[in-house]
Amino acid sequence: MTTRNWFLRELRDSVVNALSVNSATSVTSDVCIIGGGISAAMLAQKLLELQPSLTVTVVEAGARIFDLENRGKYRRRMLDYGENAWPGDFIADQAAGGVISRTMAVGGSALHWGGVTNRFSEEDLTLRSRYGLAMDWPIPWAELERFYCEAERRLGVSGEPSPLPEDQRSEPYPMPAMPLSHNLRELKAWAEQSGIPFWSTPQAKNTRPYDGRSVCMRCNTCEICPTGARYSPDFTFKQLLQKKEFALHDATLIRRLVVSPDGRRIEAAQGVARVRNGERMEYRATTFVLASGYCWSPHLLLLSASGKFPQGLANSSSLVGRYMTGHSFISAQIEMDARIYPGMNEQHSLISRQFFRCRSDVPYVRHDLRIWESSAGREPRLKDASGTYLFGDALLQDWRRRTTRGAARVRAYYDVHPSPDSALTLDPSRKNQWGDPLPSIRHVLDEPTRGRATRTREHITDLFERLARANNARILNISNDSQYLDHPAGGCRMGTDPATSVCDSFGRTHDHQNLFIVGSPTLPTGGCTNGTLTFVALTLRSATEIAKSARV
Amino acid sequence: MQEQRSRRSALKALGAAAVAPIAAAHVSGLSIREQGSPELDSAHLQAIADAVLPTELGADGRARVVDAFLRWIRDYREDAEMDHGYGFSRIRTTGASPASKYSEQLEALNRAAAAVKPGPDGHAFVALDLDARRAVIAGALKEAKVERLPQRPTGAHIAADLMGFYFNSSAAADLCYRARIGRDACRGLDGSEKPPAALNE
Repeated sequence: MTTRNWFLRELRDSVVNALSVNSATSVTSDVCIIGGGISAAMLAQKLLELQPSLTVTVVEAGARIFDLENRGKYRRRMLDYGENAWPGDFIADQAAGGVISRTMAVGGSALHWGGVTNRFSEEDLTLRSRYGLAMDWPIPWAELERFYCEAERRLGVSGEPSPLPEDQRSEPYPMPAMPLSHNLRELKAWAEQSGIPFWSTPQAKNTRPYDGRSVCMRCNTCEICPTGARYSPDFTFKQLLQKKEFALHDATLIRRLVVSPDGRRIEAAQGVARVRNGERMEYRATTFVLASGYCWSPHLLLLSASGKFPQGLANSSSLVGRYMTGHSFISAQIEMDARIYPGMNEQHSLISRQFFRCRSDVPYVRHDLRIWESSAGREPRLKDASGTYLFGDALLQDWRRRTTRGAARVRAYYDVHPSPDSALTLDPSRKNQWGDPLPSIRHVLDEPTRGRATRTREHITDLFERLARANNARILNISNDSQYLDHPAGGCRMGTDPATSVCDSFGRTHDHQNLFIVGSPTLPTGGCTNGTLTFVALTLRSATEIAKSARV
Repeated sequence: MQEQRSRRSALKALGAAAVAPIAAAHVSGLSIREQGSPELDSAHLQAIADAVLPTELGADGRARVVDAFLRWIRDYREDAEMDHGYGFSRIRTTGASPASKYSEQLEALNRAAAAVKPGPDGHAFVALDLDARRAVIAGALKEAKVERLPQRPTGAHIAADLMGFYFNSSAAADLCYRARIGRDACRGLDGSEKPPAALNE
C-alpha cells in the first residue's frame, strides 16, 4: 500500500468512526455475540448458566421467525405449492457466491436443519499424526467427547449407540433412538448381508417429550417441523428472552469491527438496523464473539480492514477466509427384493461408521455410509417405456407393476482436505445496499486429496456393489462426485501456531484478546459426516473460556 | 356375480379411502372464477378427470379430486417465496398462476374433439366417450411437448396438471400401494416399525 493510499484510508476510517460514534445508537453488554444461529443460541445459553449476571447481546442480520403456531400452515404451503416454509428467512441483497444456504434469520441454517447429529471421530482430530495429512486439531478427542455429550443433552438427541468399540461414549444418549420404520428394518436386513453393520442415525428429534417440546409426530418434513419435536435454535432464544440479562437484536447487520488504538482489543461492532431506515447501531462489549457461520464470520473480519489492519482483523497469518472446508459425497439408488412403502419416514436413515477408520498402512479413504428409503425409479409416470401416454387405470397399473420391488438411496460423505487456496474473498463487483463487498467462496482441494480421488471413488462404488449383492439387488444409478462441499466449514481455522491458524482451540483469535470465533469457521477439516453437532460441541467448549474473558 | 359385486365394492371403498385425505383438506364447490381467473367449465374439467384418473376412485372420488384441484388453483399465490432450504442458494418466487392458460387449452380440446365427432357447441369434448377423450388429450399433450407428470401444476397443460396433482399426492401413493402410508400426514411414531395398514382395513 502506498503512503498516500494509507493516509487516505486512515483519514476515511477516522471520519467514519467519528460519524458513527456521534450518530449511532449505542448498546453496551458484557458479551456481544454476532450471528444468531445454533452456535449463538448454545453459547448464550451456557454463558448465562455459567455467569447469570453477565449481560449478553446477540446481534443477527436476519429476522426472528418465532411463530411455531404457524408452522403447520407453512408446512402445508410448502408441500402443496413449494413455498418457503420459513418465509422471510433471507436478506435479498446479502448473497454470497458459492454459499450453501441463503438463510439469514435468527436460528440460521439450523432452521431448515434435518436434525442429524453424528459425531466426528478421533481420526478427524489426528489426521497429521496418523496419516501425514492436513493438520491435527489442537484438542484431544477425550475432551471433545465430553462436549459432544453436553451438546447432545442441550439439543436433545435421540440415538442408538454405535456397536463399534472405537465409538465408545462416556454418556448414554439423552433419548432412545428414533424407531426404525418398517422400511428401514427391511433395508437394514438387506444391507447387513454385506457384512457391514448399520444402525439408527442419531438425530435432534424427540422420541419422548423433552425440554418442553413434544414427541416426534413423524410428519416427514423435518425441514419445517410443525410440532417442535426437532430442535430449532428459536426455542432456545425464546427461553433466553425471559431473562433480563439477555437481548436479541435481530434485523441488524454488523458491518465492521473497530479495534482499540493498540490493535489488541475489539472496541465496538458497528452496523445498521435494517428495519429502521438503516439506523446506525454500535455495540460495545468486554468480549466479542463471532458466531456467524463459515461464510459471514470470515467475511466480517475481512470487511473490517483498516489502515492499521489492511488485510482485515485477526489476520496476521493471512489465513482468514482460507482453508474453506467440508466433505464430498457420492450417492446411488439401488433396487432390491423388499417391500418398501415410500413415505413412512423419509427423513430417518441408517448409518454405518465402520469406514470412519482407516489403517495407516493402506491407501487413505474415510467416509460414512447412510441408507434411506427411496422411491427412485418407481414414481408414477406419464409415458411408458415405448413412449405411449398412460391415463387413468393404465397409469395406475404401470405404477403398481414398478413398485413390486423396493429401493434405497445410499450415500457416502467422504473426507477431503482443503488447500490454502480454498478461499472466501471479498468480491468488489457485488455489493449490498450499504456498499459492502459481498463474499465469494471457492473450494479447492489439496494435492493429496486430488491424488486419491479415483481410488476413493472406486472404493465407494465397490461398497455400493457389495450392498447390491443381496436380495437380487441392482444399482439403478451412481452419482458423479459432488460438485460442492457439503456441511461447509473453515475460514478461521484453529491451531496452536499463530502463523498457521486464526484462533486457538477455544476460538480466541491470536491477534485480538477479546475476540472469539465459535462453531463451524474454526474447523481445520470438515470430517466425513454431518457437522452441526461438532460445531455445537466446540462452541460449548469455548463458552467456559469466553465466560472467563467476559469477567475481566 | 356375488364375487364380482364384492370386488367392485372393495375397489370403490379403496378409491374413496385413497382420495379422502385430499377431500378432507379441501372444500367442494369452488370454481376458478371466484379468484378472478378466467372461468373454467367444471363439467369440462370433470370430463378430463374421468378420462385421466383411475376408476378405482369412483365418480365421487374423481369429483373430489377436481374440487381439490380447483381449490389449489384458487389458493395459488403469485410471486410467493419458494423453498430455498439447505443446498439451494438461489431465491426464487412463484410465477403466474398456471390457470391463466387453462381456458385456452380447454377450448383447444373442444376444437380437437369437434374434429373427431361434432358435438354441442363448446361441449364436444364432454360428449366424447372416455377412449376418444384420452386420444384427444394425448394429442394435446404431445403438441404441448409434455413428457412427464409435473410435480405441481405448471400450466403446460391442464390435463397433465390435473394428473400430476393427483398422482403425486400422498393419497395416490396410498392407492398405488393399497396401504395407509399417509406420507404427508403427521402420524406419530407408534406402529411405524410395522408395515402400514391395508387401505381397506
